[in-house]
Amino acid sequence: MKYIILFTSAFLLFGAPAAFAKDVYPSFTVKGFGTLGASGTDTDRLGFRRDIKQSAGVTNGWGFDNDSRLGLQLDVDINKSWHATAQWVARNNTGDFFEQNLDWFFLRWRLEDDLDIRVGRMGFDVFMLSEYRNVGYAYLWMRPPHEFYAGLPVYHFDGADIAKKYAIGEGILTIKAFGGYSFFQVPITNSSNSAAQGTTVAGGKLAYEYGNWNTRIGYTYVLTNNEFAALQPLLDTLNSAEVNAVWPGAQALVRQIATKNKIVHFSSIGLAYDDGLWLAQMEASYIDSDQLNYPSVASGYFSAGRRFGKVTLYSLFGISESLHNQIELSNPLIPVPAIVELRNAVAQLPNSSRVDEKSVSLGLRWDVTEHIDLKTQWSHYWLGNNGAALWLTPAAGLTPDTVNVWSVGLDFVF
Amino acid sequence: MPSAQAELVVIAHFKNSIVGLTAKQVQDLFLGRERTFPNGKFALPIDQSSPLRAEFYEKLTGRPVEQINAYWARIMFTGQASPPQQLPDDKAVLQTVRENEGAIGYIDKTRVDNTVRVLLLLN
Repeated sequence: MKYIILFTSAFLLFGAPAAFAKDVYPSFTVKGFGTLGASGTDTDRLGFRRDIKQSAGVTNGWGFDNDSRLGLQLDVDINKSWHATAQWVARNNTGDFFEQNLDWFFLRWRLEDDLDIRVGRMGFDVFMLSEYRNVGYAYLWMRPPHEFYAGLPVYHFDGADIAKKYAIGEGILTIKAFGGYSFFQVPITNSSNSAAQGTTVAGGKLAYEYGNWNTRIGYTYVLTNNEFAALQPLLDTLNSAEVNAVWPGAQALVRQIATKNKIVHFSSIGLAYDDGLWLAQMEASYIDSDQLNYPSVASGYFSAGRRFGKVTLYSLFGISESLHNQIELSNPLIPVPAIVELRNAVAQLPNSSRVDEKSVSLGLRWDVTEHIDLKTQWSHYWLGNNGAALWLTPAAGLTPDTVNVWSVGLDFVF
Repeated sequence: MPSAQAELVVIAHFKNSIVGLTAKQVQDLFLGRERTFPNGKFALPIDQSSPLRAEFYEKLTGRPVEQINAYWARIMFTGQASPPQQLPDDKAVLQTVRENEGAIGYIDKTRVDNTVRVLLLLN
């Protein structure tokens, strides 16, 4: 991977002087996008965030951080069949500011008109919007549907993909396969530290575009390569001889709790319609997981909207429900208070990552100019018992079971 | 500024052997879904940065230009393809189409002359 980056950098930096006419290579283009957004809620007990990679959320105090961002993209046409792209997005995220925000950095080889191979860093193409969640201008809502996208901390991976397009009937079928490695950092609940995660990813999609319709079916396999740092102290305790002397089943739990070598399967289906006046979109997914701190979850959303000139009104319904991940626990031989407490902590573990969330949103997008839109959105969330894993929860105390979130934003491309 | 009722023509090099294109075929070329003409030859779509652009896409696709821009934002920022190069006006488009055998562009109908081939009329 390091060599690919060096190779691409060499091209970008020392390629040749910039040229502007078509047919003259290499040609350089700089483009960008951004959002200035503000949002607020009606509670101070839960922090609302776009996704679980964010370690800060908005409350009734409002904030600009969660939705605001600025992306820059450099494209280089090296010759007729080779192309390089780099995209970096400044945003409020957990982890290394430069490395984690570099979402695209690849070389593309167009072998023939309908066949592309890319090598380098690419967006994670797991659901319909997962590759361009940052580009607010490219979608209708204030942010991608929360129930569907907020649980996805992976934005990119390092590896390769191959995509082939076929003209079938009046439409175009795209078949894509990808594989590689993803390194990402996520916040640790109620701590200012982050945890590094390394995963092997492989997946594919079928997409068919026909007139006003767009459909997509996708599957992605994710294998976690390391132990989640925040769980390590617990795993060490459960492995210790002292604990096992009093609680013989303790060590056997390590295998259930550990994240290393656990597999997550993402399956999804999506459908979008847009005839210029009416638009609708829906997706459904099932994430099947062995990982106790990322329990299996079923999610879906449906959105419908109508354009009135430059203004589009929309509604959005979303749902996400974790499946009950029960952990099998034996009882300690002697009820030593410290061990009982440890047992309770283990029993609580699946609860802290459960999602039980539904929402309804109403919003408006106004295309002010050809490159700028203004959006506003109201969302009402229902959160079930132990179901707020997509939010930032306090260390102790009750949290509300309904929350209103109001947002305004300005998206632009240049 | 062209009037809202202007007629547009889609033009190509005079040596281009294509007799005409349908609106769907022109749309596929300008939206990057198709990269060659029906005869298999490489196509180089030329866009405009003038106010004629909004009118062209409105007439060609029935959609406002903001939707076309949102479409390209998705394609471009996911590293799939780049939108057609934009030239400032009819004059620059005519010039480029005259000079490139694969070029395909659009101009106001009143500006067309017999140095280029007309593939489609949009009104």
